[in-house]
Amino acid sequence: MNELANLLERIIQRVNINLRELGIDVAPRVRALVPFDQMVKFYAFYGITPHHPLDLRFRHSNLAGSYFLGNIRVTNSLLYKSDIRGDELKKKGKLCGFGAVEIPLNQDEEIDIADSFLVKTLVHSSSHDPESPERFFIKDTVSTHYANIHGSPSHGCFLGPFSTVDLTTVRDCVIGTFCYIQAGEVSHLNVDPGTVWVRSPGRFNFLYRYAPDRLNEYISFLPGSAPRGLFMDFANNLKEAFQSVFDRVNVEQTARVPDSASLDRFAVTLPPTHIGENVLVAQRAYLEDAWLGTGANAQENCCILHSRLEGCNVTAHGARIIQADLDRNTFVGFNSFLRGRPERRLTVGESCIVMPHTIIDCREPVSVPAGHLVWGLITDPRELATHSVSLKHLSGIRSGFSRGNMFFEGDGALFVSAFQDRIGHILEANGAFFDGDKTLRGHAQRNQNISFNTLQPYPEGDLEGLYPTIIIQP
Amino acid sequence: MIHGTVKDLMVPLSEYATVPEGSTLYEAVLALEEAQEKFDQTRYHHRAVLILDHDQRVVGKLSQLELLRALEPRNEERRRLLDIGRFGFSAAFINRLREQHRREGEILENIHRSASRLRVEDFMQSPSEGEYVEENTSLDTAIHQLVTGTHLSLLVTRQQEIVGILRMSDVFSAVFHTIKERERMDGTGALP
Repeated sequence: MNELANLLERIIQRVNINLRELGIDVAPRVRALVPFDQMVKFYAFYGITPHHPLDLRFRHSNLAGSYFLGNIRVTNSLLYKSDIRGDELKKKGKLCGFGAVEIPLNQDEEIDIADSFLVKTLVHSSSHDPESPERFFIKDTVSTHYANIHGSPSHGCFLGPFSTVDLTTVRDCVIGTFCYIQAGEVSHLNVDPGTVWVRSPGRFNFLYRYAPDRLNEYISFLPGSAPRGLFMDFANNLKEAFQSVFDRVNVEQTARVPDSASLDRFAVTLPPTHIGENVLVAQRAYLEDAWLGTGANAQENCCILHSRLEGCNVTAHGARIIQADLDRNTFVGFNSFLRGRPERRLTVGESCIVMPHTIIDCREPVSVPAGHLVWGLITDPRELATHSVSLKHLSGIRSGFSRGNMFFEGDGALFVSAFQDRIGHILEANGAFFDGDKTLRGHAQRNQNISFNTLQPYPEGDLEGLYPTIIIQP
Repeated sequence: MIHGTVKDLMVPLSEYATVPEGSTLYEAVLALEEAQEKFDQTRYHHRAVLILDHDQRVVGKLSQLELLRALEPRNEERRRLLDIGRFGFSAAFINRLREQHRREGEILENIHRSASRLRVEDFMQSPSEGEYVEENTSLDTAIHQLVTGTHLSLLVTRQQEIVGILRMSDVFSAVFHTIKERERMDGTGALP
């Protein structure tokens, strides 16, 4: 245990050095996150498929309950129940575009995690940093419960619970609780909790900030204690169901899975659940009384309860959908929380975009009209009116507008098309359009036959909880 | 090179606008006006008020900028508005929002009335390390301190006591006067 404790202190020091300009001490935030005895309990595991590269190197780290796929290097780090998914990393020879420049990759890209502490964090996608196209680095970084590091190299950062950095290189930043940042590159920023920021310089800039008192009901995080709020209660209530999936070697799934669809062995499905053609259900997703039409997907840490998704729906990492009916082609962004009630369901019309980190918590029935963009905190139709805009209207915006706590500057049409293009890309990557043509295969088809192997740490002694140096290659 | 020392050019504390701690912004503005009336009318106007404690020591400075900031309407919405600049929004966009907010917000005169009851210590800047200069320091050195720092004036000290203010405007006048003199003596200048 000594070495594990030393490792944690070393990580705290390194992060604090990077954050000294912001005057942040992460120690009280970090020490209460995970007891050491938990880090010894759980096995780590990795996937093998003929469709993914395999190059895993673990050194001087704890990997408790974490999952690895692809080219990944982990050094001097603590990874607790995190998913490090390297199935979208760039291949050698690929051209990495940045403006008019195309940079050829001279080796396969790898995820490189060093001197970091990740708790229940998802690392996915590929580096979008033109300065580091072959190395998706996460260094001197602490990320907390249900954070997403999506295509975002990170150096010297603290990521609060349920925060997301998306396609953004972050350096020496504090990303507050439930923040979503997609801004290309940011440094030396201390971002307040509940900030949703999407910026493409010269094109558009979207900013929404939650009122702190209202956000605290859902998620709050104070130094010295674990994260609290409805989001944590909700996640904790699912723990038992997941524990049984992780404890058993063979898991009997209750839902029928078509040949073109994929249901991960580490997902939970409870009847009655319908999985349509080309559906992707990723690990740590939870489905109960869920109807997923053709091409829908449920990504990591998603939860879909008593809900119906008509088809080609994207439910991004960490999104939760409860008592809701979603028409075709809807997008529900990262860590969104959509909760209807049996007597006041939520309906979301065709081709709607629910912005990342949106909360719709119905105190009255709420119906989002087709073709709308919604954001922020919505509990009734009146709040829907002030937290939504039709995609048609937004496409006509040329300079900017504001609505409540939301500010938008730039070209609305570019903003809408950027989202729509990305949603199309996600569906394509997930295999939603597969019709037997091999070129249309995506994760739903490629992830059907994954073998999983497990790894264990030292059970006792000074190295208790540390994993030995392990190199896994074909 | 400018001859002389700081004390040759400083405004003595007795001629500067001062108010005691606990004064209102309105009283600070009155003190500024009164000091100006007594001051040499050929020189630049005073642009700040010094705040003194019970022992007549300078504990802060209230500049024109800080006075104007204090008079700005403030509420949660405005605070959030001002803050969006750090997220990359353009000055033009923020100004449009401000204008919209002003039209929809409180009446400016009312805000001014209430702001005039605010206390100076809530808005003053406490002196910082690079803001002091000893009275016998050469003007050359003091000019360098002004140029490399961020202050429009320096607090002049004699031992531990503040005895005057060295203003950027007076330094600029002295430098410009020296240049003109040199040009005149050389007989090469084309100045009028």
